[in-house]
Amino acid sequence: MPEQPPPEMVTISLDGQEIEVPQGEYIIKAAEDQGTYIPRFCYHSRMKPVGLCRMCLVEVETPRGRILTTACNTPVAPEMIVDTESAVVQKAQEGILEFLLINHPLDCPVCDKGGECPLQDQTVAYGPGESRFVEEKRHFEKPIPLSDIVLMDRERCILCARCTRFSEEVSGDPLIEFVGRGNQTHVITFPDEPFASYFSGNTVQICPVGALTAKPYRFKARPWDLEAIESVSMVDASGASISIETSQNEVVRINGVDNDATNHGWLSDKDRFVFQAIHSENRLATPLIRDDAGDLQPASWGDALDRVADALGSVRGDEVASIGGANNTNEEAFALGKFLRTVVVTPHIDAQVGDALNPEFLAGVTPRAEIGDLDGAATILVWAGDLKEEFPTLFLRVRHAVTQMGAKLIVVHPRRTGLDNIAAEKITYRPGEGPEVVRKLTAQGDQDYGAVRDLLTAGPVIALVGLTGRAEDPRLAEAVAAYALGLPGSKVLPLARRANVFGALDMGLAPTLLPGRVPVKSESGRAELESHWGPLPGEAGLDTAGIIAGLAAGDLKALLLVGADPVRDGRNPDAVRAALDAAEFVVSLDMFLNDSNQQASVILPVDGFAETEGTVTNIEGRVQKVNRILPGPGQSRALWSILDELSSRMGGQLGAGDGPAIAKEIALVAPAYRSMTWDRLEWGPERDGVVMPDRDGVQELRFVPDDSGLRPTAGRLALHSGRVLYDGGTRNTQSPALAGLTPDPAVYLHPRDASALALADGQEVDVAGEFGTVRLRLELDPSLAEGSAYVPANLDSTWVLGVPDVVTVEAQSSKGKKNEKKKGKKKGAGE
Amino acid sequence: MAGFIGELLGPFKGFATVMRQAFKPRLTRSYPHEMRVKPQRFHGRHVLNRYPDGMEKCIGCELCAGVCPASCIYVRGQDNPVDAPVSPGERFGFVYEINLLRCIFCGLCVEACPTEAITMTQLFEFSVTDRADAIYTKDELLVQADGTPNHGQPDGPLIDLAELKLADGWMRATSPAGRADFEGVPAWTPSAGVGLRPAERGQSDVTESEEEEA
Repeated sequence: MPEQPPPEMVTISLDGQEIEVPQGEYIIKAAEDQGTYIPRFCYHSRMKPVGLCRMCLVEVETPRGRILTTACNTPVAPEMIVDTESAVVQKAQEGILEFLLINHPLDCPVCDKGGECPLQDQTVAYGPGESRFVEEKRHFEKPIPLSDIVLMDRERCILCARCTRFSEEVSGDPLIEFVGRGNQTHVITFPDEPFASYFSGNTVQICPVGALTAKPYRFKARPWDLEAIESVSMVDASGASISIETSQNEVVRINGVDNDATNHGWLSDKDRFVFQAIHSENRLATPLIRDDAGDLQPASWGDALDRVADALGSVRGDEVASIGGANNTNEEAFALGKFLRTVVVTPHIDAQVGDALNPEFLAGVTPRAEIGDLDGAATILVWAGDLKEEFPTLFLRVRHAVTQMGAKLIVVHPRRTGLDNIAAEKITYRPGEGPEVVRKLTAQGDQDYGAVRDLLTAGPVIALVGLTGRAEDPRLAEAVAAYALGLPGSKVLPLARRANVFGALDMGLAPTLLPGRVPVKSESGRAELESHWGPLPGEAGLDTAGIIAGLAAGDLKALLLVGADPVRDGRNPDAVRAALDAAEFVVSLDMFLNDSNQQASVILPVDGFAETEGTVTNIEGRVQKVNRILPGPGQSRALWSILDELSSRMGGQLGAGDGPAIAKEIALVAPAYRSMTWDRLEWGPERDGVVMPDRDGVQELRFVPDDSGLRPTAGRLALHSGRVLYDGGTRNTQSPALAGLTPDPAVYLHPRDASALALADGQEVDVAGEFGTVRLRLELDPSLAEGSAYVPANLDSTWVLGVPDVVTVEAQSSKGKKNEKKKGKKKGAGE
Repeated sequence: MAGFIGELLGPFKGFATVMRQAFKPRLTRSYPHEMRVKPQRFHGRHVLNRYPDGMEKCIGCELCAGVCPASCIYVRGQDNPVDAPVSPGERFGFVYEINLLRCIFCGLCVEACPTEAITMTQLFEFSVTDRADAIYTKDELLVQADGTPNHGQPDGPLIDLAELKLADGWMRATSPAGRADFEGVPAWTPSAGVGLRPAERGQSDVTESEEEEA
């Protein structure tokens, strides 16, 4: 973070004690920092105070004598005298609680909040003990659904406005509001408009009573029998801190943990409810081997590993390739990289599937921004996918920086994004014409985008750079980064979506990288690693696209799929499927069966989220600890232990006996991670994570932008294949709370394009590309750049389309039948 | 010398004790033919009670499980089906199990229960031949519609049907919310053998002890 001038300190008297606090701070915060807790319901440190609940009343000396005032919205002033414990204050607190309990039902034993309820706790600590009110309480129908996930019990609501303020101030989708007067005031959605926010779960977490409850946790457990452990969300790569809470060996809830560096305590609903997939009945629990008849049969670990070791040992090392590893911990990724490089001896390793960016850019861009830098930025440039869909918690941080900290926001995207309503400037461009936009921004004396260029003259500039859509040329992001690095005081935050893709790249799961951000082509870096590992392949390997092509051509014989589904994520699904069929041997290490590994020869069940311990690295390069609280289902095992046993069967020595041993080896051989230990991340000030490299770490990798040869897109309609939060991915479909939220697949066209093609809103149309055809409903979207078609990526039917550069959209025709036939064939293949 | 004489007299002392006891009233009973009257607050086996309308009192709040020092209670709550509610309110006890091998019969669960759903009866005969049978499930714990507790051998010689009825199964909990409707109303209906509880008083009433202080 940029150095901010230290705040001016003032001296106040708190309960007779002189303390120094920053000028302008609210009494409640100043007192809390000094260790004096003032009770509160409506005050939340991450939101603006409103002074609604009156629980935080304190006595302050004024020229008019001592008055009662709310501590949450009264800033401190020099020589202020504050009393938080006087008899008057105590009487006020008792009175407020007695009033709050006039209508609050005492159904605590039924209420999910009972046991961790601020109203319960504060009634015990500050309440009068007895109520004088014997009248009938207010009654409402309970509970009423606000959305598919959140339920509202209006009887319990104490009108603190935390939820309504959150949705207005923080998430920016004000879908709930107070209605009614006096006794009948309650929180409700607007008519016919559900509380369909990506962040609705946060309101449940911050509700100080049990008024808001979420379906996945409803009546599942009581707070006192929960076992909790801190970890990091594995939904996207922003590194949101969470606490995983289990009861009877089952994850029942995930809550956000306030990490100043990453998520400020907020989570998206996907972060919060995706844990249901862990307990899906479709989890793989035993190793599966394909028998001679071609059916998958349960097998023992011994047989399965023997089969894998035999198959991998019977081909040359460089005929083996590996795809995936971006959803695993750093330790698992490191063990996988070491296994492939030293036991199998192959350079063909890639953790990125489909929407890959240059690994040297992702891991090596300098100066790299931290998420906290957003708060000090003058201008924020977002040239990436829709953050609200791909990085929901980062979206909230950008929103915070813009709405609270005064940063100016520029969004560049082919379509509307969640940030548009707070953006100072928006550039909408046709996919494929990104290089042109960069050129116009760079060119001297050009008249286009004048306002944008004016904004970008004010530093510091933080640029969030990633792929806007899957059909985009990945080198565009590098060109944008190169441009952004020339802006005043600029730093770049590279964005790639998968949970631990940055960790995987840092651990060398890339064709061009060795562990610790060392390029394969660096002689000295490779020599140093060889002193630990022995000789290594000196050439860069093939990336995912190259591996697929190599399998199809027969140059590669065997493939490891590590939690990857290249069929769904690939550019050409049919070609990937054909390549997997052509491979002699495919072993999949995964939690679920998916479209890619159903044809695999051997499938090994691995432990996943909440079942493995290790570290992960987020978009900033921040390393955080993830923890284990559950055993995996059935016979599933940790990835590193599978690889360790596999390598001893193949006559190698992996030395990956347990997680801590691997962590020690990472610190030994990975230059950027030299000072990393688990102990540092467990306790103390570095619990929020450490940005690597620090102290003694070095980063040899330097990203050198090269934007030559960006491909232009010719054709009628350029494809924009943006991601949506609730897509058809395995984790979403296996989580009952999220499965129903997947949007209906559709193709979006600009109204002018639609009228040129004589298509009407809502019509069924055939979308055809190079790799496939899909029938979708047409929706008009004036926010979309003209000359492009937006098809959300990886929905139930849209993935068949693949990722062609251009598509044609036409009214239902004979092509539709062809598509159906094709679908039928795929179904047959899957069975 | 005295020791020697004492040793000689020893057996006669023993006979004296026997003779003394022979004419005292006998404490031994020929159980199971003769049953002992148990104290009113005897800590016997638990039952789960119902309201007079047949609804279950248990709301699945897990307070009994939380307070249990032997961790022998396992409860899971669930959303109450709206069309056929099992208990009044939103939540009901979906799973309720007590491992009576672990239970120490301390009665803390009864004290913790906010709805008086779990109470203890005077039943004490529940020997089993399989350890798994000692885990009483909700089916076994829940009283019948007329308030009679279930018992594995209700017709056997060990079971006194009259004693089964002695169970304090018929109780009606009132909301402790201070609803005016309940002022002056006895909280318990006459339950067999357990008697009446004083009427609920208004929360602003002055208690006797407070009166004395005043």
